[in-house]
Amino acid sequence: MSIGYAFSAFFGILFKNQIPDDVAAALGWVRRDSKPKVAEKPKKEEPVVGPGDGALQILGILQRDARLVDFLMENIAPYTDEQIGAAVRGVHEQSRQTLERYLQFAPVIDGVEGTYAKVNSKDPAAVKLIGNVPADGKAAGGTLRHKGWRVTKTDLPPIFAHQKTDILAPAEIEIA
Amino acid sequence: MKPVLGIDLGTTNCALALGGEQISLLPVPQLVNPGEMQSPDLLPSFLFVPGPADFPAGSTALPWDDAPPYVVGTLARKRGAENAGRLVSSAKSWLSHAGVDRNAALLPAAAPEGVTKLSPVEASRAYLEHLRQASELDFAAHQVLVTVPASFDAVARDLTLKAAALAGCGDVMLLEEPQAAFYAWLERHADWRERIGSRDRVLVIDVGGGTTDFTLIAVEESQGALALERLAVGEHILLGGDNMDLALARFLEQRLPKLDPVQFQSLWQQCRAAKEALLSNEGPNEQPVTLLGRGSSLIGGTIKGQLTRAEVRELLLNGFFPQVASTEMPERAKRSGLQSMGLPYAADAAITRHLAQFLRSVKAGVLTGPTHVLFNGGVFRAAALRERVLTVLNQWLAAEGAAPARALEGEDLMHAVARGAAYYGVMRQTQGGIRIRGGVPRTYYIGIEESLPAVPFIKPPLKALTVVPFGMEEGTTHRFAEREFGLVVGEPAEFRFFVSSTRRDDPAGELLERVTEELDELPAMEITLPANAGDAGVIAATLESTVTETGLLQLWIVARDGRRWKLEFNVRERG
Repeated sequence: MSIGYAFSAFFGILFKNQIPDDVAAALGWVRRDSKPKVAEKPKKEEPVVGPGDGALQILGILQRDARLVDFLMENIAPYTDEQIGAAVRGVHEQSRQTLERYLQFAPVIDGVEGTYAKVNSKDPAAVKLIGNVPADGKAAGGTLRHKGWRVTKTDLPPIFAHQKTDILAPAEIEIA
Repeated sequence: MKPVLGIDLGTTNCALALGGEQISLLPVPQLVNPGEMQSPDLLPSFLFVPGPADFPAGSTALPWDDAPPYVVGTLARKRGAENAGRLVSSAKSWLSHAGVDRNAALLPAAAPEGVTKLSPVEASRAYLEHLRQASELDFAAHQVLVTVPASFDAVARDLTLKAAALAGCGDVMLLEEPQAAFYAWLERHADWRERIGSRDRVLVIDVGGGTTDFTLIAVEESQGALALERLAVGEHILLGGDNMDLALARFLEQRLPKLDPVQFQSLWQQCRAAKEALLSNEGPNEQPVTLLGRGSSLIGGTIKGQLTRAEVRELLLNGFFPQVASTEMPERAKRSGLQSMGLPYAADAAITRHLAQFLRSVKAGVLTGPTHVLFNGGVFRAAALRERVLTVLNQWLAAEGAAPARALEGEDLMHAVARGAAYYGVMRQTQGGIRIRGGVPRTYYIGIEESLPAVPFIKPPLKALTVVPFGMEEGTTHRFAEREFGLVVGEPAEFRFFVSSTRRDDPAGELLERVTEELDELPAMEITLPANAGDAGVIAATLESTVTETGLLQLWIVARDGRRWKLEFNVRERG
C-alpha cells in the first residue's frame, strides 16, 4: 500500500497548511515573476491567485495526467483486487512521473528507518516526536520511524489569467 | 567564424543543435499543456490550428507571442489526438509529394469546412520559426544547416529553402539527413579512421517516424587521407516507426472491445513502448497494455490487453523486416482509378525489400554490398530490429560470397541528424575538415520535342537531354552551348523535366532518344518570357544548369543576345 501512503502524505502536507513558508510561497504562481522578459510587457494581465488555487492546480494536473481524481472518487468496492491492480499500475506510474516532473522531493531526515537518528529540527511540523516524549519536549534523538517528505523545489506552470482552477477536469462531449 | 546551427526538420520531430568546440543540443521551449511551457530536446512536428473551442482564452500565449495563430509542438500533438480536423502532421511528407501543389493551402488534410488551411511550406516555416523564437538566437547571424531526406527532389529542396527564408533564417544550406547522421557518428568517434578504412562502404539506414531513407557512402584513400564519397541514395519511402506501432495497435484492437479515438491513441502510444520493451535483448516476454475507462468510472471501464514477445516479433520482424532474397523487389501498388487526396504511402511495408532494391540500384543488376551499417532513427532502439537487418543483409552478402557487414556502434539514434548538421557546418568553416563528397544524387533531364511534320492524334516524340548529371557537385555549372533551341517568347512556354535515381552514367549533354520508364516526370515548369521589340516570337537560346553552394538546383535559359532567365520549378499540378 505504499501508493496510498504516498498520496496521503503528500496531500497531508498540501492541505493541512503545514508547508514550510518558503515552499508555500513558491507553490505554483511565482514563476512568471522570475521571467523578466514576460514581466516587461505591461499589457499582460497578472494572474489573480486565490488561496486554494495552488492545491486545485496540482489536483487538476494529477487528474489530467494520471486520472487521479477519477480513481480516488470511484467506488472501488465492487471490483476485484486484480481489476483494481491493473488500473492502479497506470495511475500510480503516471502520478509519480507527474509529481517528479513538477516537484522535487527529499526526506526530512535522510536516515535509515528503524535506526537511531538525531533530531535535526525544533519545528514540530518538520520533526514530530512520538512515544515517551519528555515533558520539556526536548530530545537529542531516537528511532527513526518515518523519514518524512520535504518538497525542495516546485516547478509548477504559472496560473494564467482567467484560469478556472476549480474545474479539475472538463466534461468531454464527442461530436459524432 | 560564423556560429553554426544544425536543424533536423523531421517528419515527426525537429531538433536544434548549436555548433562550436562541442556540439550541443538546444532545448526547445514549447507549450506542453494549455498555459504550460516546458523545454524538451525535441519539437514534435505537429501544428494545430486552434478554433474557439480548443483552448481557454490566453492559454496558448508564448513568451514571444501573446496570441499566436497556431500551436506548434507537444500541445499541438496532444490536442490533435482529440480533434484531428485541425491538426497538421507529416508536413514534410507533403512537401515532397510531387502530386500536389505544395504552395497551396492543403493542410490540415482532414480539416472541416471553415478551418484556415496552410500550405506544406507554411507549416515547415512555422516549425523553423518556432525553433528560432524559442532558442532566442539570431538565426540571421548564423550559418544554418537544415537537413532534408536524401531522397528529396529538387522541388522539395527548393521549398525547404523557401520555408527557411520565410522563417527568418539568413544563411541557409541544406544537408542530407543520412549524411548528417554519419557526420554525427564521426564527431562522436575521433578515432573513426581506425574503425573504417579505405575501400569500406557504409550503409546508412535511417528509419524515422514516417520515412525510410538509405544512403551508401564509400571510404576512399585520396592523397594519403581518407575521403568519403556518397555513392547512392534511395527513393523516398513513406514508411517508418509509426507504421509499426500502428500495426501493433490494429492487431491488438481486434481482441479488445470497441475503442473510441482517444483510447486508440493511448493504445498506439502504449504499443510503441511495448515494441521497445519486447524487442530489447533483456526485455520481458509479455507486456500488459491497459486502457483506463474513458468516463469518470476508471476501474469499471478499464480494458486490459497484452502483447507477447512472439507476437511483436512476428508482426514487426516478419511484417516489416522479412527474411527475403536480395533479388526480391518491393511490390508496386496497383493504382485504383480514383484515389483520395493523400500521401503516396509505400505499398510494400517490407523495409528489407526496399533495401534490396536500393542495393541493387547502385550498379544496375548487381548487389553493391556495404561493409558497415550505421543505424539512425528511434525505431532502432529496439535491438531485435537492428539484429534482423544485419542478419538479412549478411545472408545476401554471404550468397554473393562477400564478407559480412558490421554495425557501427555508438550512434545517437534520436539526435544525430541535428548534431551532425551542426558538426558539418563547423567543419565546413575549418580547413581540412572531413567532407562527404556527393553532389546531386539524381540525374535530371529536360524534355525536348522533336520537330516533325504534324500528324493528327500523335504527339511528337519526346527526347530527354541530360542537364544535371548524377553526382554534379555543389558550386558547379554546365553550359550546353552546342545545343541551341528555338525559345518561345511573349507567351507561356512549358518545359518538361524528368528525373532518374537509377540512371547514373548519363553525362551532361547526353540526349536520350526517348523517355524510358527509368525517368520520372517532375511537375512541368511554365514561364512567360518577355519579348523584346524585334523578337520574332521564337528566339535562339541555350541552357545552363547550376548547383548552388547551398545545394539548390537551378536551370537558366540564355538567349543568344545574353539575356538570362531562371526557370523556377513549377509546383502546380499538371492539369
